[in-house]
Amino acid sequence: MAKATNGGTGARRGRIARALGRVPRWVYLLGALVLALAFPMLNTSGLMGTIWIRVGIRSLTFVLLALGLNVVMGETGLLNLGYIAFFAVGAYTTAILSSPPLGYHWPFWSLLLLSTVAAMAFGFLVGLPTLRLRGDYLAIVTLAFGEIVRTVFLNWRSVTNGPGGVPGIYPPVIFGWVVDKPVEFYYLVLIFVAIVMVLLTNVKNSRIGRGWNALREDEIAAVHSGIDATRMKVLAITMSAGVAGLAGCLFAYYQQFINPTYFVFLQSVIVVCMVALGGMGSIPGAVLGAIVLDSLPEIIRSLFSDWLPGWFGPNVLATWPDWLRTFFTDFDRYRMLLFGIIVVLVVIFRPEGLLPDAMWRRETHEEDPREQERTRQGLFDVEEGTQDLEA
Amino acid sequence: MSFDQVFSLTVSGITVGMIYALIALGYTMVYGVLEFINFAHGDVFTFGGFVAATILIRAGLSDSSPLPVRLLWLLGAIVLAVLITVALGLSIERIAYRPLRGRSRIIPLLSAIGVSIILENMMILVFGPESIIVPQAVIPMQFVTIFGSRIRVLALIIIGVSIVLMLVLTYIVRSTRVGKAMRATSQDMEAAEMMGIETNRTIAFTFAVGSALAAIGGLLVAMFYGSLTWDSGFIYGLKAFTAAVLGGIGSIPGAVIGSLILGLAENYGVGLNLGLLAWFFVVGLVGGLYIQFVRAPQQRLKHVREEERTPAYERNLVRQYRLAPYYAIRTMLGPRTDALVAVSARHALRIMLGNVFLAVAAAVFFLNGNYQIDPEWQNVIVFVVLMIVLLFRPAGILGEHVPEKV
Repeated sequence: MAKATNGGTGARRGRIARALGRVPRWVYLLGALVLALAFPMLNTSGLMGTIWIRVGIRSLTFVLLALGLNVVMGETGLLNLGYIAFFAVGAYTTAILSSPPLGYHWPFWSLLLLSTVAAMAFGFLVGLPTLRLRGDYLAIVTLAFGEIVRTVFLNWRSVTNGPGGVPGIYPPVIFGWVVDKPVEFYYLVLIFVAIVMVLLTNVKNSRIGRGWNALREDEIAAVHSGIDATRMKVLAITMSAGVAGLAGCLFAYYQQFINPTYFVFLQSVIVVCMVALGGMGSIPGAVLGAIVLDSLPEIIRSLFSDWLPGWFGPNVLATWPDWLRTFFTDFDRYRMLLFGIIVVLVVIFRPEGLLPDAMWRRETHEEDPREQERTRQGLFDVEEGTQDLEA
Repeated sequence: MSFDQVFSLTVSGITVGMIYALIALGYTMVYGVLEFINFAHGDVFTFGGFVAATILIRAGLSDSSPLPVRLLWLLGAIVLAVLITVALGLSIERIAYRPLRGRSRIIPLLSAIGVSIILENMMILVFGPESIIVPQAVIPMQFVTIFGSRIRVLALIIIGVSIVLMLVLTYIVRSTRVGKAMRATSQDMEAAEMMGIETNRTIAFTFAVGSALAAIGGLLVAMFYGSLTWDSGFIYGLKAFTAAVLGGIGSIPGAVIGSLILGLAENYGVGLNLGLLAWFFVVGLVGGLYIQFVRAPQQRLKHVREEERTPAYERNLVRQYRLAPYYAIRTMLGPRTDALVAVSARHALRIMLGNVFLAVAAAVFFLNGNYQIDPEWQNVIVFVVLMIVLLFRPAGILGEHVPEKV
């Protein structure tokens, strides 16, 4: 029972949150778009260093991954712990077919398509047999699959050059435009993020998306309402794999060098954390979760080692104890620790995430959650009673 | 490939298998009670090994210290490590898992992943990112010769200790009051609570036992391989979980059997040449053919109503399993048939595909008989075993099929 994990936060939403909720959606969308488009200006106007454009590109890549994973994990409720394997398939497809070691130089569009399709094919292959498994078994099998893919890339030396990786990936050429500056890459990835967001929002609001949500909420009821569970799940995993393959293609082009260490299990976990933090099943949530988790460590580090000394003079932190100062200026060491703590706290205190899915929130707002719980309990008791009578 | 080589592979397979079993028991007990994968268990195991090794390093033992002193330190380290690890296991359960009880499956698993990340990074911060090395003074370095192959005494000790621990565990679960409470809780938590069992305490006890076993396993691994790294828990935990699933998760003897199979598979897999490995597929194929032609039709017949079980129907069913692909395709393409026929046709096809896979694998391995699998692929062997088991027998070897609870 108790599939909807609302935690009863609905009734306690504050006045500010309600006021923010009244602002129409397009305002937020426009704001996000303007922010995203203007972000590189910070760099060109000299407000922030070049590193931030790199952080931006990395965050956008993670946004793509989080959007893709959100389809399986958030919409359909299947935990995929080997998601980075699809990303790796896309990245390696691009890297191998567009770099000096094997002598191929395929054009950008063909590789973009091929990477996506290759990852989708992998997703299909994994999905078809494994989706009959129950949720947590599926998590372990996908984890194992991710490790297998990584080991193959690590040991298949003749093609992938093993741990050495694939160097010197050619920059993409789009209608004669050679994309090789970070700012250009930023906009390129941004365009794809926008396309994927529009696509996934449409799918989410379609028959398919509703089918996914139904499967997530109650699989047995969904199947009995005529939803083909296997087909829907395979569709979800294939689609999410495709997004990861696309992200992998862009990542390989941007990075110009890839090796298997980019595709370790930890990366899958990071993406899972992003979706969980943002709010499962919510597209803006996935975007926000990815941006926050990816850039927060960098922001904390810069804030204490560059910005604060820059604004208030170099002695601003002098009175702080040594360990506290190094904690902030050396924040990269604690990055994963922060991830872990965030995940546990979010899961315990705000399981619906930062920007919860509208449907999920509406469900929790219909009436007093306590009342809802009581009704459900009553129904449950009635069911149990009839079962007992039969037996 | 001589006999003593195979024998020493067998012994090291059993040793590794026993260590997996110590970890797998923690997974399987928690799963039995809560139906939840304690993803952080592998890191609890590493933590136990780290604590014990740190104590032994601090002891400042050298090769010249007398044997009783060394043994006493070893014992003290084990006891202390077990206590600290149990405390850790209990607090994880209290803080990160208990508030989430009753939520949908994915939520506690996420929390467990978070705990796993926290533990690994805490270990880096506290013990440093280098691997920890157990002092040579406490590691028995002798060898004995059995059947012509040199076997480490430590391997035999590990096997012995694990067997003793498993017997103790079996005693606890079978014959004590708290063991009874554990079994009751795992069967039906609500009913157990109504009968006056303190389920919270029972669950905590389960976590404590699992953590204690993991701590001992951690020390044994650190002694056997000489060192332990902060991220060792990931791969050990994954393999132990695989073993638990292999044996049927929730089942204690299943976890031990699965661990032994896994330990042997991973040692034989990279130790034997393909010609010898092919025989395993041949044995599997014999079993598969028996299932396809004898066992499965009988089993399927049990699902048929009495009055429909005519001799003609039985003959038809046997024929279905014999000509599985033909019937499967016919039911897929042809006009609508009886639902039962469609189900058994699909079932038959799945068994047949498994047999074809085994036959092809055996043939490929025989044809490349002199090759040996590179040790780099050892982990892949484990994962492939896991995937195959889950595909063909999701409930594991000793597990029963559990229908999804609604």
